[in-house]
Amino acid sequence: MTDASAPPGPFAEGGGPEPLAVYTRMAWVLRVGLVLALALLGGALVALVVRSPHQDAGAWVRSDPFAPYFELANLGPGLAAGAPGAFLTLGVLVLIATPVVRVVTGIYYFLGRRERALAAIATVVLVLLIVGLVVFGPWVR
Amino acid sequence: MVLLVLTGGVAGLVGSLTGLGGAVVALPVLVLAFGVPFPEAAGAGLLTVLATSSTTGAAYLRDRLSDLRIGMFLEVATVPGALAGAVATVFLVHARLEDALLIALGAVLLTLIPGTLLRGWRSPSVARPPDRWSRRLGLRGSYVDERLGREVPYVAASTGPALGVAFVAGIVAGMFGIGGGVFKVHALERYLGLPMKVATATSNFMIGVTGAAGAGVLLAAGFVDPIIGAPIALGTAVGAYAGSQVLPRLRNRTVRWVFLPVIAALAVEVILRGLGVG
Repeated sequence: MTDASAPPGPFAEGGGPEPLAVYTRMAWVLRVGLVLALALLGGALVALVVRSPHQDAGAWVRSDPFAPYFELANLGPGLAAGAPGAFLTLGVLVLIATPVVRVVTGIYYFLGRRERALAAIATVVLVLLIVGLVVFGPWVR
Repeated sequence: MVLLVLTGGVAGLVGSLTGLGGAVVALPVLVLAFGVPFPEAAGAGLLTVLATSSTTGAAYLRDRLSDLRIGMFLEVATVPGALAGAVATVFLVHARLEDALLIALGAVLLTLIPGTLLRGWRSPSVARPPDRWSRRLGLRGSYVDERLGREVPYVAASTGPALGVAFVAGIVAGMFGIGGGVFKVHALERYLGLPMKVATATSNFMIGVTGAAGAGVLLAAGFVDPIIGAPIALGTAVGAYAGSQVLPRLRNRTVRWVFLPVIAALAVEVILRGLGVG
């Protein structure tokens, strides 16, 4: 294990550990996102089973009940109609979005500390995440 | 569906106890036992990675073990790696090279095992002076080591090589739907010179964002099937939580020696399936 007791030398910007509040905020983001995603996924799966109790998972996979809701235009009406596939899709989106929101929390934190370099790095990460979903995925489909 | 939840639960528990993550166990089981095609298995794997990292990541953050600035710094390499890996998987699947992906997945799983077994046995890394980027970004910190009973300071050293290994870890994560935590811990401990506890916690902090990058591409490409991924992710989250509660009461190395041969056998089976033998 490293025991860096030697003086670290001149640093241009701050250094960790960060204030407790930022750890608490990020942990809260992860916990709320996870609970919300699991509730949506679990509720949608239970609804699927209740509506078609004799259908096996293979049949659901083949019938692709969630595919229409990947189109964002269909997601809202699907949720309003109580379609399990729409809630399943929303659960997946929340699960993926949770770490992304954590990155946004980081940008906000570093901007507040005027640590522009780290805020810029976190912004690049955020842009790459969005580009992956919006550009790369549809491009390779 | 119940079987998928149970599989996720066992995967989350074993993945948590071995330190390899739930996806490393769930992925080969999905391919071998459930006959799930590789791309959908990889998509489900990334959902389990996201569920597990949010479960354990919140706990590590609460304990202030994760280094936020070092984690976010390395994410600038893991995220492009994950995007490249996921795009490569889509192209390879379209080129009908799924069998090659299975062989590569088995090989990667086998590669992870020695690193996991040796975790904690390696000699401590020697403290090195911070490089230019480390000074520029303030990549230093400290944590309270309860065993030592004092605060341990640390400084990040070789950021260049660490970024390189982090990029490779991202490719592995995006390509195969696993967390790639073993590679990230290697980058954090070996090159940046972080203490093991901080390296493990910071790796977990990064895994969620890396997984989100890969999952975003696979989702948009149509390779994430919630009917498969949702029950597995649900089970994995519960199993990982149970593992984190049980782990402090178990002998860590004994647990690894019990389960890692099982994972090795699964990896060999995956390779054989890719070769058309299994």
